[in-house]
Amino acid sequence: MSSDDYVNIFPSQNREKSQNLNISPFLNYDSNFMRKTQPEFIFPEGATKNRGRFELAFSQIGSSVMIGGGVGSLVGLYNGLRVTSLLQQQGKLRQTQILNHVMKQGSATANSLGTLAVLYSVFGVLLQWTRGTDDNINTVVAGTTTGLLYKSTGGLRKTVVGGCLGLTISSLYVLFNLANKQPNFN
Amino acid sequence: MEEYSREPCPWRIVDDCGGAFAMGCIGGGVFQAIKGFRNAPSGMNRRFLGSLSAIKTRSPIIAGNFAVWGGMFSTIDCTLVHIRKKEDPWNSIISGAATGGILAARNGFGAMAGSAIIGGMLLALIEGVGILFTRLSADQFRNPLPPTEDPAALGDPSTSGSGPFGFGQPPQQYQ
Repeated sequence: MSSDDYVNIFPSQNREKSQNLNISPFLNYDSNFMRKTQPEFIFPEGATKNRGRFELAFSQIGSSVMIGGGVGSLVGLYNGLRVTSLLQQQGKLRQTQILNHVMKQGSATANSLGTLAVLYSVFGVLLQWTRGTDDNINTVVAGTTTGLLYKSTGGLRKTVVGGCLGLTISSLYVLFNLANKQPNFN
Repeated sequence: MEEYSREPCPWRIVDDCGGAFAMGCIGGGVFQAIKGFRNAPSGMNRRFLGSLSAIKTRSPIIAGNFAVWGGMFSTIDCTLVHIRKKEDPWNSIISGAATGGILAARNGFGAMAGSAIIGGMLLALIEGVGILFTRLSADQFRNPLPPTEDPAALGDPSTSGSGPFGFGQPPQQYQ
């Protein structure tokens, strides 16, 4: 008879052994089975521990659109002020011209930044699905392919330039994240 | 589980704006691809080129319009949540109508009213379909009814003899 069996039969006499367990010593089983080695969490069905690319995609696209709209509007305001003062337009004409500049430049910048974000998100989600992981390689590859595709209708030279631009920006972003000790974030 | 998968309120605006932009970009891309293909001069190469140029020029604009709609809708929705202190289908319907009206403000009062009615009805349809699906999917989780027990099978408690364990039943013979 080993000591463990002895514990099972007369559990209360071996109290120092079962002291740190939260189970009553009078239960008729080996309480070592119930020892918890790690905390357990309940996740909803099909969910993972942190959010993947698809969950983050919409907010990334939305913030790109909004940032593009804001920056484009500011640039349009500056351009409109400059152009109207150069042409010496006054009054209601100037007001309308500035408004036109702001709206056109703002929507154009918002649309192109948003399209870039959509392309990046689509590539990121596809890479995550095909590779099964979500890491920095996905970010760099998605950024590069986004640059390549976005400039792909403008000839080979522009395509390469766009791809290099995407590669540079995504690599800088990944390096920035690595330097701040945040690995594996989008 | 819709309520748990959505973002909390101020961030929902960004999320809805992005979702609408993505929807407009991809859906508008497909739409413009077909339209450009049909509109182009004959010859397969020209048709594909026409399709491509239509996608390039038109689909970001459609996406931008979608994004403005989504962002405005979500902003009004969150404002209504803040004011009314509750989230219900009426929020969506009101904000859909208001968005339609506001975004048609430059086109005159008649266009505003028409867009508002269309927006409100669209969102009412969406909410109605959502409620319908919730009802249908809730039906299959209903617990089965417990079997009804007929108390008459137990016999009359007043007339039968009372054994040591008998609750109205005559003591049974086991041999």
